[in-house]
Amino acid sequence: MEGSESATGRWLGIAAMVLLLLVFIGPIVWFILLAIRPAETYFAMPPVLSFTPNWESIRYTFFDPGNNAPQLGNSLIVAIGAVALNLPFSFPAAYALSRYKIRGRKHIMLWYLGLLMAPPVAFLIPYSVLASMAGVKGTYFSMILISQTLTIPFSVWLMRSFIDEVPIEIEEAARIDGAGTTTILLKFILPMVMPGLIVTSMFAFVFSWNNAAFPLVLANRSTTTLPVGTLQYFGTAGVTWGFIASAAVAAMIPPMLIFLVLDRYVVRGLTFGSVKG
Amino acid sequence: MSAVSIAAPSRARRRLPDYTPWLLISPSILLLLALIAFPLLFALKNSFYFWNLQMGPAPMGFIGLDNYRMALSNGMFLGSLWTTLQMTLVGTAIEFCLGLAIALLLLRRLPGIKLTRVLLIMPTTIAPIVVGFLFRYMYDPNGGLIPWLLTSAGIPLPAAGLLGSPSTALWAVLFADIWQWTPFFAIVLYAALLAVPGEIVEAARVDGVSPWKQLLYVKLPLIRKTALIIVMLRFMQIFNTFDLVVVLTKGGPGTASRTLGYSLYQAGLVDFNIGLSSAMTWMMVIIVNAIIGLFVFFAFKDWD
Repeated sequence: MEGSESATGRWLGIAAMVLLLLVFIGPIVWFILLAIRPAETYFAMPPVLSFTPNWESIRYTFFDPGNNAPQLGNSLIVAIGAVALNLPFSFPAAYALSRYKIRGRKHIMLWYLGLLMAPPVAFLIPYSVLASMAGVKGTYFSMILISQTLTIPFSVWLMRSFIDEVPIEIEEAARIDGAGTTTILLKFILPMVMPGLIVTSMFAFVFSWNNAAFPLVLANRSTTTLPVGTLQYFGTAGVTWGFIASAAVAAMIPPMLIFLVLDRYVVRGLTFGSVKG
Repeated sequence: MSAVSIAAPSRARRRLPDYTPWLLISPSILLLLALIAFPLLFALKNSFYFWNLQMGPAPMGFIGLDNYRMALSNGMFLGSLWTTLQMTLVGTAIEFCLGLAIALLLLRRLPGIKLTRVLLIMPTTIAPIVVGFLFRYMYDPNGGLIPWLLTSAGIPLPAAGLLGSPSTALWAVLFADIWQWTPFFAIVLYAALLAVPGEIVEAARVDGVSPWKQLLYVKLPLIRKTALIIVMLRFMQIFNTFDLVVVLTKGGPGTASRTLGYSLYQAGLVDFNIGLSSAMTWMMVIIVNAIIGLFVFFAFKDWD
């Protein structure tokens, strides 16, 4: 089919491809440029493409006074903490759901999936008030704990698809040799699904990194994460676009890099393991 | 029956009560239940009280169903539900169709198509709140890229700007979502179509089935399961939208772009009316569960 394609069809295809890149990548480039533009070109009409880079926004947001620099650290702490706390819960569950044909397995899996589709905004007020009552409001721990409602269901789904691929013969042999479930999990399954575990953790990291809803109500000024910290420039004294772009671009770089690194797993991650890609 | 279970060793082993799977699964379920049940029960209780955080740190009296009545009577809830449903249905449909078209393009052997595929997913990786900032900048009526492009193409724009005009605000918000998530549909549908066995498509082609009908009657049914999962996911994500609205329009102008999620956000985090927002939380949770239930019942009956 592809071989019999006309030259016109081919050129149309290439034109469509260039249009795609302009529409979907262009705005990202445009926003990155905003972070290094001189202020007078923010809204110049017609748009200005060539200018001398101005590092003032980046200097202001990340170095002097650098309000957003600690937020970058906070985002890292919360996202890494969320992934670390999720593993001891999701790994055993993923293993059990992969290997045991228990009753209601389908419903448990769908329940996890349902959690991923729950409206986060519905939980914001209760979490905010309950966290104040418990005296943990503003702590990293509160954000890491609440993030589990996202990271655990996601990781169980994705990890299960990786465990499904580990041949069962190895653990059957180990079981005959008298190995218990804990030994099998830690000594046999864990090393074999380590790549899958790393892929899952990296996607769970992105999931948690991009979540702005929970830090919005749980963080305080010194623990807030980068995507939420960007909101501070939305104040009353007008919108300072260079600062917003500088902080927001820093927030979007880690997920982009992770997706580029995980290229062959992207479809699998985005569909929670249900499409192998 | 007993004869069978003795004959098959694996069945015999399973006859012993084995609690191992439940021991492995239950920690995650218990933690998640605690993280969900506590706030929901707390909200249920608060929904029967008058409680505004600006007036006091504790509930100020039992008022029965008044919060529910209030949410339903001033049109706030039903109006935003209708806005949300329009946005959700239109958004899911557009993202699916555009995504499918792009997936078909990605399947062609063109120079640079692999790089395009890798880069295309980038919008999907960005936090929705950041996508909000990006589009707020590009929509700016005084020098934003989008109004400039549209006016240059001779398309008349509302004086208040795309985000400031009641007739365009909701669709401008939705456009940001479509920009972010169409690549998601494209990449996933591309991978699913790639896995369709070549012989089946070839057989249809030899039988003289047109390319359009090949897609509709051969390929799409084969990727039905994948398509259903991502449609359901996106449907619910658009239905729950609030952060994009917070950054782009704050529900305005008037109520033009007030989604259900934003109504809840406003009642609780702007007006601090805990009672009212709790009542709306419960109504929203019931609706979300009903939609997921419908999906599961109709789409996932024969699943797993």
